[in-house]
Amino acid sequence: MTTSSTPSATGGATRWLPPVLLLGAAVALPYSVQRIFLHTAIEKKMGTVQKIFYFHVPLAWIMMALAITCGIAAAVQLRNRSRKAEALSIAAGELVLVTGLGVLLTGPIWGHATWGRAWTWDARQVSTGLLWLVFAAFVLLRRYGAAGSERLAAALAVFGAVDVPIIYYAVKIWKTTHPTTDVVGTLPPQMWAALWPALGALMALTLALLLVRLGQERDAAALDDAWIAFDEGGPEPRAEKGAG
Amino acid sequence: MSIAPLALQDLGKRYGRLAVLRAIDLQVASGEIVALLGANGCGKTTLLSIAAGLLAPSSGTRAYGPTRVVELDRAARMRLAFVAHSTQLYARLSALENLELLASLRGDAPGREGLAQLLERVGLSHAADRAAGTFSRGMQQRLAIARALIGAPELLLLDEPFTALDHAGRAILTQVLLAERARGAAILLSSHDLDAVAQCCDRAVLLADGRIAAQTQRERGESDDAFAPRIRALGLGRAHAHAEAHDREPAP
Amino acid sequence: MSVPADAALGGLVLAPRRGRAHATNRAVVFRQAWLLARNDLRQELRDLELVLTAAFFTLVVLVMFALAFAALPAAAQVLAVPGMLWLAVAFVGALTLTRIFDREREADTLRAVLTWPVERVAIYFGKLAVSLLVVVGCGALLMPALALLFPTAGVFFERPLEAIALLVLGCVAYCATGTLFAAGLATASGKNVLLSVILYPLTSPALIFALVSTRALLEGHPQFSTYLGQLAAVDLVVLVLASWLFEPVLVGSQRPHGPSPRARRERARVQAERP
Repeated sequence: MTTSSTPSATGGATRWLPPVLLLGAAVALPYSVQRIFLHTAIEKKMGTVQKIFYFHVPLAWIMMALAITCGIAAAVQLRNRSRKAEALSIAAGELVLVTGLGVLLTGPIWGHATWGRAWTWDARQVSTGLLWLVFAAFVLLRRYGAAGSERLAAALAVFGAVDVPIIYYAVKIWKTTHPTTDVVGTLPPQMWAALWPALGALMALTLALLLVRLGQERDAAALDDAWIAFDEGGPEPRAEKGAG
Repeated sequence: MSIAPLALQDLGKRYGRLAVLRAIDLQVASGEIVALLGANGCGKTTLLSIAAGLLAPSSGTRAYGPTRVVELDRAARMRLAFVAHSTQLYARLSALENLELLASLRGDAPGREGLAQLLERVGLSHAADRAAGTFSRGMQQRLAIARALIGAPELLLLDEPFTALDHAGRAILTQVLLAERARGAAILLSSHDLDAVAQCCDRAVLLADGRIAAQTQRERGESDDAFAPRIRALGLGRAHAHAEAHDREPAP
Repeated sequence: MSVPADAALGGLVLAPRRGRAHATNRAVVFRQAWLLARNDLRQELRDLELVLTAAFFTLVVLVMFALAFAALPAAAQVLAVPGMLWLAVAFVGALTLTRIFDREREADTLRAVLTWPVERVAIYFGKLAVSLLVVVGCGALLMPALALLFPTAGVFFERPLEAIALLVLGCVAYCATGTLFAAGLATASGKNVLLSVILYPLTSPALIFALVSTRALLEGHPQFSTYLGQLAAVDLVVLVLASWLFEPVLVGSQRPHGPSPRARRERARVQAERP
C-alpha cells in the first residue's frame, strides 16, 4: 500500500505555529526579565520579592482562561460529540495543571512578602487550589476512568469552568486579606509596561504547548482514521495487508 | 412495501479502532421475528443496545417506522421495548409493582387487571405479590418479558430471552412471541438456542466478526420441522464462518 | 406482511427533532420524576436501609463532635459549628448518593429506565428528590442537636425559618452536583470510589457559601439574607447546569460522529487504489 501521508491529515497551523511561538517566547522571556528587574522600580513596601507578581498574575490569568476554555470545549464535546473539542479540552485541562502549579508556587512567595505568611487560607488561594484539584480529577478521570468516563470527565471540566467566576466573585464578598483585584487597575504605568512582556511571553509559551498537545491529539485521531479507512477500505482489507 | 418498525442501514460501531459492528443492514418488518445468531462477542448485544438507543452508532442510520432517528427521544422509546441479558428488575418490589412502575411511567398502559393478565400470560399469576428478588432466574426472565409487553410496543428487542428458562418457560415465551407477531409487532432477538429459534422465527441472521455473515428465511408456510435443519446449518456454520473471520484477523 | 400494523404505523410520523429539549413537556417531566422518586421511596420503605444508615451515621458524627468540641468557648463555636454542620452534611450526602445508585447497579435497573419512554431529566430530578429528602432529614437532626450541644447555635431554634431555608438551599447545591456525578459513575463501569474524589472539590464552592451564610446566621450578621440569596443563585446555576449535562453524561449524544470528512476522503482514496 502506498503510504503517501496526505498533508491535510497533519494540519497546517499546528505544525509551524508552535516553533514560531516558542521562538517568540524565547526572545520575550529574557526581555521581560530584563524589563522587570532592571528597568522597573522596586516596590517600596514589599521589596524585590514583589517582582514575582509579574509572573504570578499572568499565570493566574492564563490558568483561568485555560480552565474556561477547557470547560467550553468539554461542553461542545458533550453536545456534539466533537472530537476536535475533546482534544482541546484535554490539552487545556492538562495545561491548567501546569500553569496552576506555577500559580500555586509563585503565589505563596508573593504572599510571604506581602502578608508575612505564605499561605493564609485566603479565599482565593483556597479556591485556586480547589480549581487545581478539580482539574487534577479531570486528568485522572480521563487517564484512568472506565469506558464512558470521558463524558463524566467532560462534565467535571464544565463544572470546573463554572467554578471560576464563582471563585472570582468569592473574593469580593468575603473581604479577605488578599490584595484586592484593584491592584492591577491602579498600577503605575511603568509596572504595567513590565507586565505586558511577561504576559506575552507566558502566553506564547502556553499557546505553543497547547498547540503541540492539540497536534498530538490530531495525529492520534488521524492515525485512527487512517487505520479505520484502511480497515473499511475494501471487502477483504486484511488479506491485502499481509501482501504489503 | 411496508415501513419497517426497525431499519438499520450501514450501521457501524467502533470503540476506538476496535470494530464491533460493520456495515450492518437489517430490517425487521411488522409481524416478523428475526433471530440473531452468532458466537459470543460477535456483536449481538451491541447491535441490540444500539437499536434500543442505549448506545450511539459510530456510523450509519437507524430508522424506527417512517422517519430516520438521530436521537431516540421519548416518543421513539414509547414504541419499543428491550429485554436485556440481565433482567433489570427492582428486587425489593413485587412482580406487580415492577410492572406498575413502567405502566405508570408510560401513562398509556392498562390498569391493574391488564397487568395481572400480563403476569398470567407468562405464568406468574401465583407470584404477583412476591418480591422479584426472591424469584429464581427463570421467573425473573419471565417477569422481564411480561414487562416488555406493557403498552403493546411495535418493536420488541430481546437479548438472549431463552436464557435460564425451563421447558415450560420456553414454551410460554414461544407462545408469547408468536402472539405478539400475530398482533403485528416486529421482534428482534438474539439466541444460542437453535431449536427455540427454529420454532418461532421467520428469519435468522448470522453475525460473525461484526458483520452479517449469512441469513436464512422461512419459506411461506414452511413448517418448523422443515425450517429447523436450515437454522441448525446456519447456526453450526458459524463455527466455520468464525474460523474464516479469524484467518483474516490482522496481526496486532 | 401483515396489514393492520402498517396502517397503525401510518399515523406515527416522527418529526425530525433538533430543538427537542425545548419541546419537552414539563408536565411529563414532573410526573415521571415524581413516579420515579415514589418508586425509590417505596423500595426504601421496605427496609429503611438508606434512612437508618444515614441517620445512624449522623448520630455517630454528632457524638464525635460532642466529645471533641465539648469545651469550646463561645467565640470559637461561631466558627466551628458551621463547619461541623456542613462537613457532616457532605459526608452523609456522599454516603447517601453512593447508596442510592448502588441500589440501581445491583440489577442494572438504571439502564432499563434509560430504554423506557422516560425523559432523562426526570431521572435526574427523581434521584435528586430522594437524596435531598434523606440529606435534609439528616440536617434536620443535626441542627437541633448542634443547638443543644453548643449554646451559640441556639439561633437555629430562635430563627427556625431562616435555619430551614439555609439547610435546604445548602443541601440542594450539594445534592444537585452529587446526583449528576453519582449517576455518571453508576453507568460507567466500576470505580464508585471516585465519587468522593470528584464530589468534594466540585461542591466546595457551594459548601463555602453555605458555611459563610451559616456563620452570618450565628453572628446575627445583617447581610445574612444577601448571603442566602447568593446561595440560592448558586443552587440555580448548579441545577440548570446539572440537568443540562445529565443526558449527555448518561447516554452520550446519539449523533453519530462517524468518520470525519478527512477519514471519508481517506477511505475513498484507499478504495480507489484497490482494483
